[in-house]
This record gives sequence, structure tokens and C-alpha cells, in this order.
Amino acid sequence: MTDLLQLLLAGVSVGAVYTLVAMGFVAIYTVSGVINLAQGEFAALAGLVAISATGSGLPLPVALLLAILTVVIVAAVMQRVTIAPVKRMTTLLSIILTLGVSTALKAAMLLIWGPEGHGLTPFPGTDFTLAGVAVRAQYLWILAVTALTAVAVTWFYERTLLGKALRACAEQPTAARLVGISIARASLLSFAIAGLLGAVAGVLASPVYFSAWDSGLALGLKGFVAATLGGLVSIRGAVAGGLVLGVLESLVAGYVDSGLRDAVAFIVLIVVLVVRPGGVLRQHSVARV
Amino acid sequence: MLRIRRAGVVAATAALMIMTAGCAEKETAGDSGTSSGPIRIGAVLDITGAGASLGVPERKTLELLAKQLNDAGGINGRKVELIIEDNQSTEDGAAKAMNEMVSKKVDIVLGASRTGPSLAMRAIAESAKMPMISLAANVRIVDGATWVFKTAQNDSVVLENIIDYARSKGWKTIGLLRDASGYGEGVAETLTELGKPHGITVSQVEKFAPDATDFTAQMINIRNANADVNLIWGIPPAAALAQKSYRQLGITTPLLQSHGIGNQVFLDTAGDSADGLVAPLGRLLVADQLPDSDPQKAVLTKFLADYRAAYNEDPSTFAGHAWDAFQLAVEAFKAVGTDKQKVRDYLEQVNGFVGVTGVYRMTPKDHSGLGKDALVLVTVSGGKWQLLPTS
Repeated sequence: MTDLLQLLLAGVSVGAVYTLVAMGFVAIYTVSGVINLAQGEFAALAGLVAISATGSGLPLPVALLLAILTVVIVAAVMQRVTIAPVKRMTTLLSIILTLGVSTALKAAMLLIWGPEGHGLTPFPGTDFTLAGVAVRAQYLWILAVTALTAVAVTWFYERTLLGKALRACAEQPTAARLVGISIARASLLSFAIAGLLGAVAGVLASPVYFSAWDSGLALGLKGFVAATLGGLVSIRGAVAGGLVLGVLESLVAGYVDSGLRDAVAFIVLIVVLVVRPGGVLRQHSVARV
Repeated sequence: MLRIRRAGVVAATAALMIMTAGCAEKETAGDSGTSSGPIRIGAVLDITGAGASLGVPERKTLELLAKQLNDAGGINGRKVELIIEDNQSTEDGAAKAMNEMVSKKVDIVLGASRTGPSLAMRAIAESAKMPMISLAANVRIVDGATWVFKTAQNDSVVLENIIDYARSKGWKTIGLLRDASGYGEGVAETLTELGKPHGITVSQVEKFAPDATDFTAQMINIRNANADVNLIWGIPPAAALAQKSYRQLGITTPLLQSHGIGNQVFLDTAGDSADGLVAPLGRLLVADQLPDSDPQKAVLTKFLADYRAAYNEDPSTFAGHAWDAFQLAVEAFKAVGTDKQKVRDYLEQVNGFVGVTGVYRMTPKDHSGLGKDALVLVTVSGGKWQLLPTS
């Protein structure tokens, strides 16, 4: 029982990070139909910036803000430079463009931070043991911040005018433009949101899961799989998808074979694409036309 | 890809002049390397990816040694040109880089840093008859090889030390948590084989990817196996994160690590959790604690001083593997020139070469040349390597 709880905790914690990355995929895809393969790099970049900032003596909260701000700016610049100028965006074109950005970001991070991985200082708090389950303070931070972020993002899309405008772009681009919503600005905003989500994932994960120039690849792939579980268009689906994936990985590693851990995400992806290409956990409320 | 430019320019000009002037000389030298112009040493290292904490200090070491050698006038008047390629810690990257080395007709290839990439290079070295010195551990890299040598201690040598230590403590069962890549392959089998005569068995085997960051699942299974002692077999940062996870889950069983952890990255990453672990490691890490009578003391002290002066940090045992490979190659070139067959034959009969990792005694059967004595038991206390007193 203790073992199961420990595995679940580890799974939920890593799943929460996948969730944040997955929400980033969804944020961009719903507005502009772009699959942003640089989403994982946002997380890696945020982690590395935060590590450098704390290393140069800045207090942790300032370092975190700086990291998140940097990534939001990078995401916005990325949209302006690579996505906005394209007149007719296709999925294939978006994949090629964002893959290019992802490769460029990776190369830049490798040049700046070198090849070795580092961990950010853990957030304040002491680790403790509860009913035989070892709990890291950082796990609680990850869970709490992810929960807050998920609620805030859902509220933003469902309750605020701006959020509704973004969803309008997703559902009826022409109609949205007719009522005065700028598609270009919506796309820019969606990238900024994705950058924010990726950055939060990056700084939360860094103390436990480490940041390196290439750590974005695995995060991005798993976040993508999590987003796919929700059909790429649902925030709730992304949340559920991330958590399910994290827990599944942890349980498979614990009860089946620890070597299979990284295969889980891809087996899930294949199964979903073959059986339910629209997403297993898809909510009825958001429909993409 | 890096070159030692200064030497390169001089050497290239010289080579050009000789090529136009003395064609006859080139013909006599044949295909197996020219006897003039720079000596070209290729290196294929795990500079990025999972093996970065190994490959980076190895690159630094090779660059330092090449510079020192050229400043001192090179080998028999010939400069050394170093050609370094990154294999990105992948097998296919290593094979590709090795093919490039062969087509560039370098005189010897050093690397790779880890077992998997080294195995990928071995077949190419054998078929191209290219002398190669790997810096990695697994004995399969050199088992039955003609052209391939290696400088890291064989895993079997490390495991012998571990079995000896387990015997001295009276431990009978070992829980193994190993790297799922080439480095960890065969460890459980070798450990079982070595332990059999002494009634020591491997009671649980868990695996982790070399770039893994979460070890909860494996640690729970290791904890439940309840062995007398547990062994983590990996390289940093994964080995260090596993160490952390082990302590964090409150497992109190004594913990051993492999010789894969001999660098500062391990200590920095593992932090307090490293205290109390025991690992068979090269002497480099505890050089200042060795008695003056130790045959390696002088070599180690000089390497430490040179490396610190150049890079303002301590070298790792992996840097030591690179030092040994480079110096073995230089010894060979000094003695027999760059004829590949002669270089190979020379390396095979190296006897008593004092390196950073140990004292090498190669034989046609053993292309690693290091015995059990190339390792000492080391523990960590207060974030520092400590020589474990021999009981």
C-alpha cells in the first residue's frame, strides 16, 4: 500500500509537469492550428535561466520571474518572426517551422550553458515522511502550482472576454474576425500563454528532474502525448492526460519493468492515434472546426 | 569539432611542401600513415547528451595534453594534430564519427567515453584496421578485439573489488540498480558469476535509462528486495539522482556505487546524500591521501596540478582515462612511428606503463591491461572523497 502511494505520488508529480507542457500545446493549437514543437524547449530554457539567475546571486522568486519573463518574450518573438509572416499555415508547415525553432533554441542553450545538466535550488520547504511515504517539498510545490495554473487557465478561457475571444478564433476564425477580434493578436497571445506555461513547468521541474539543453525533447514529447489524449484542443483533457501519463509511467516502472518507463508514452500515443484519433478524454464543450 | 589550430597551420604548410617535393617518400610510407607531417589523433567523445559529464573533462584533458606536447616540440619532431568529434552520446553518432575518422585517415582514434558508443565504433575499427583506444568500461569493447584497446577499468575488475568488500562485511545478497544502456549490460551476470564461489547472490535487478530523473519505482522494488547491500551502477547525473532518491526514501541498507561516479558532478548533484557510500574508484580522486610509496603518486600529482592550472577545477577519473589513452598513443608513436600495424603491436605489449587509472600490462588476450589493484575503495564524507582505510 505504501509502495502504491509512493508510486502514485511520484507519478502525479511528474504528470503535473507533463500537464503544464500539454496545456501549452493546447493553448497554441486551438488558436492557430500550430503544433509547437518548441514547447519542451520553453521549459528547458526557463530552468536554465533560473539556474543562472540564482547562481549569480538573485533571490529565488526574482530568478523565477526573470526566467518566466524571458521565456514569454522568446515565445512572443518566435511567433512574430516565424509564425505570423506565414499567410497560409498548414500543420506540416507549422511542424517544420517550430522544429526549426526548437533546434535553434537547443543549439543556443548548448552554446550558452554547455552540455551538462543542472538542477535549480529546491523551493523552500522540508521533505517529510507521511505514513511511510517520503514526500519532497518540491512535489507539493509542483502539484499546488500546477493546480492553481490549471484553474487559472480554465477560468481565463471560459470566463474572461479575452479568453472567449481566443476560443472564438479557434472555433470560427472568419466570424471572429467579423466581430473585430484580431487573429494575429490572438495567435501572439496564445504563444505568450504557451511560453508562460512552459516556463512554469520548467522552473517547477528543474529542482527534481533537472534542466539541460536537451531536456526539452523528452518533456515536449510527453507533453504532446498528454495533449493528444485530450485531442489537442481541451485544457481539461490536457490536465487529465498529463496526470494519467505520469501515473501510468510510474506504475509500469514499478510493477512491470523499470526499463519500460519511457516506452509508455509512445505506446499510449500509438494506441490513441489508432483507436481514438480525436482524443480519449475529449470534452464535448470545445469543438474545433 | 575542434582542432589545435596553431599546430595545424604550421603542420599543414609543412605537409604541403613535403607532398609536392617528396612523392617518393610518401610511396615508401604506403597506406598506413605518412612518416612526416603532423601525427593526427582522432577522438570521438560523448561531449553532449547523457555522457556529457564524462566527455567534457576528457576533451579538456586531450586538448591540454596536445598543447603541452606540441609546446615541447611534438613527437620526434612531428607535431600532433587533435581532431575531436562529438558523438552526442549515441551509438549511431559514434559510428558516423568513427567512419569520418577512418576517411580522414587519422593515425589513431581515442574514445568513445561510454560503452555503447565504443561498441558501435569497435566494428569499424576492426574492419578498417584502425588502432582505437576506448575510454569506457565494459569488457566487451575489447574482448577478442585485434585493433581495439581501452583504458577504463573492466567492469569485472570493479565487481571483483565489490565482491571482496561484500565478503569482508559478510553480506550475502546484493540488490542491483543498473544503467539500462551498454554500461550496465552484463553487470548482473558477472556479479552472479563472481559471487557464486562465495555464496553471494544478486537478489534483485532494476534498470534505469542513462538520462532518467525519477527513480521512485526502482527504489521501491530495491527496498522491498531487502538485500544485505545495494549497488547502483551508473554515471552522473543519473547515478547521483539515484543516490539522492535512495536516501530520500529512507533506505538504510548500505549502498555501493560503481567506478562510474568519479567526478565532481556526482558530488555536486548528490550533495549530502552521497555521505557514507562506498565505491571502488581510481586513485586520482584521493591522490593527496595516497602514501608516497604508491607507484602512481607522481603521475597523479602532476596531472592534478596541470589540469588545475589550466582549467581551475579538479579532473575526474574520466579525464584520467583520456590522459592514459593519449599517453599510450604517444608512447606508441614515439617508439614505432605511425605505421598502424606497428602501433597496434606496440600497444598490445605495453607492460608497466604508469597511467592515471592504473599501471597497464596489456597482453594479446587482455587489451585493457588493468587489474584489481587499479582501484581503491573510496567513501564520501562531507562532500569529499575519502580513501577507505583497508581493514
